[in-house]
Amino acid sequence: MPTRFQRVCQNLAFAPSLLAAATLFALMVMTFSDVMLRSIFNAPIEAATELTRIFMAIIVFSSLPIISARGGHIVVDIIDPLFKGAVARLRDGIIFIITGALLIWPTQRCYVLAERARDFGDLTEYLAIPQYLITYFITISTGITALVLIVTGLVTLFAPSLIDYEGGASSESEPS
Amino acid sequence: MEAALIGFAAVLILVLLRLPIAFAMGLVGMVGYMLETSFRGAMSMVGRLIIDTSQDYGLSVIPLFILMGLFVNKGGLSRELYRVSYDFLGHFKGGLAMATIVACGGFSAICGSSLATAATMSKVAMPEMRKYGYSDSLSTASIAAGGTLGILIPPSVILVIYGLLTETSIGKLFIAGIIPGILGVLLYLVAVRFTVARNPDSGPSGERASWGERLAALRGIWAVLLLFFLVIGGLYGVFDFWPLNLTFSPTEAAGMGAMGAFLIALSRGSLTLKNTYEVLVETAFTTASLFAVLIGAWIFSNFINLAGLPQALLAFVNQSGFSPFTVMLAILAVYIVLGCVFESLSMLLLTVPIFFPLVTSLGYDPIWFGIIVVVVTEISLITPPVGLNVFVLKGVVKDVPTATIFKGVTPFWVVDIIRLALLLIIPSLVLFLPQNM
Repeated sequence: MPTRFQRVCQNLAFAPSLLAAATLFALMVMTFSDVMLRSIFNAPIEAATELTRIFMAIIVFSSLPIISARGGHIVVDIIDPLFKGAVARLRDGIIFIITGALLIWPTQRCYVLAERARDFGDLTEYLAIPQYLITYFITISTGITALVLIVTGLVTLFAPSLIDYEGGASSESEPS
Repeated sequence: MEAALIGFAAVLILVLLRLPIAFAMGLVGMVGYMLETSFRGAMSMVGRLIIDTSQDYGLSVIPLFILMGLFVNKGGLSRELYRVSYDFLGHFKGGLAMATIVACGGFSAICGSSLATAATMSKVAMPEMRKYGYSDSLSTASIAAGGTLGILIPPSVILVIYGLLTETSIGKLFIAGIIPGILGVLLYLVAVRFTVARNPDSGPSGERASWGERLAALRGIWAVLLLFFLVIGGLYGVFDFWPLNLTFSPTEAAGMGAMGAFLIALSRGSLTLKNTYEVLVETAFTTASLFAVLIGAWIFSNFINLAGLPQALLAFVNQSGFSPFTVMLAILAVYIVLGCVFESLSMLLLTVPIFFPLVTSLGYDPIWFGIIVVVVTEISLITPPVGLNVFVLKGVVKDVPTATIFKGVTPFWVVDIIRLALLLIIPSLVLFLPQNM
């Protein structure tokens, strides 16, 4: 049973999840159309490359805060059996806070780079989309990820009942 | 050099303390880079990497290939592949285990991930093998071993990342994986025969299918075979003739594959709005976690390079007078040991920046080395104590003890070592196809 706090979090995660899904779908359709148009009508989508870049940034950075909060980063868990109960919770909480804190400086740096791109007025090649918009998006998402990680850490440490904590952050390992 | 080695040890310790791999590599790389240069310099490097990596055109292959695998799977491919392999092989002794191996090989041709291959096939093949009274050790081992083929037979997420990391052609890497992949299937079949010969009760034969049934089963998978041919053929340049003139870049091949898989699943009525959304979200999340690791690895490898580890290693090898072959054996030993702890992608990201310059300057082919690294990684997936594929299987069939699975895996592990030796001694097994591209 998800707690009320978890339901609120799930609702918050919906919009960025939808954005990531829709962008990925668009990326697939665009790549397909580009190949088709190029080979049949000799008319490739010229902006495909730069759109691919932008789409990738959107897919990755709308998902990042969500997978971070869910403990979805790839971890090595071979010594997990050594940690149990309160010790595991302490470890998980501390790790969440450390990872969040680690993102603070990169966020600041991304912000500086975004401002610089805005000053220079960098535009993408075909569609003339301002570069700084993408960099801002990355900056904001990294910042939110830092915040989300720290809050998750604090909740894990001090209010585990909010997230129905069961020992060991859920690790959704990646396929590789 | 000392700095880099300390960094390496620090990553190992942090990772074992369960810090996510991406953050462990990123943190150590950042601190190390800072000590070698300045705080500002390190932060600039990190900021740039975050922004540039996420907008890398070449990396768009990753979500598209993951998407292709998931869509095809929604279309019910795994069951049909197993059906076909079963109809052709089921009546042999150990036939169901052999069918499992072949079906895993087939599934790998769509899916770029070993863990996903093992997880998918276990749901299909395990109940069948149980029904026919196969021993737990043979049935689980054939799935765990067969699943490892996922990262070798193209498409392969690992090969994509190796290609991007080392600026080696992804198309050629894919093509190079085909013969070693088929060799892997054949040798695994030998391992099944061996197991059954030693203990006939472990794998009784199933029913013989008629040719009518076999052809009917083949009809179920033709669309997927066509898709594989389109994707890999397009990369290889098979369609580069008038009036098509189609040669795909890896991203294009992946995009065509994903769209094709989407259309196949759609035409079979197996997609709803809900599960399409789930597939897309799952792909996006997997992509984001892979990118986090990639960015962390790049930060770490920038530090390693700055600290001069690859050069120091090269100088050391040159002075020592070891033959290139000895060095290669030492590198492979390192991989097998690391593979006991790390999952495949992180191991690759951690080691390739260090070993790649060394290996190429010793005169080895970059494509050959890529395949060798993947084959060693495959072996690590079924090596105790943390063969990840074994644990994936354990998650699906909870009642089989881990030790039983590892025991069953032993013959498969042995033939894997034989395959590795063959590829080491006869490099043209790897290089024949890409060189004739």
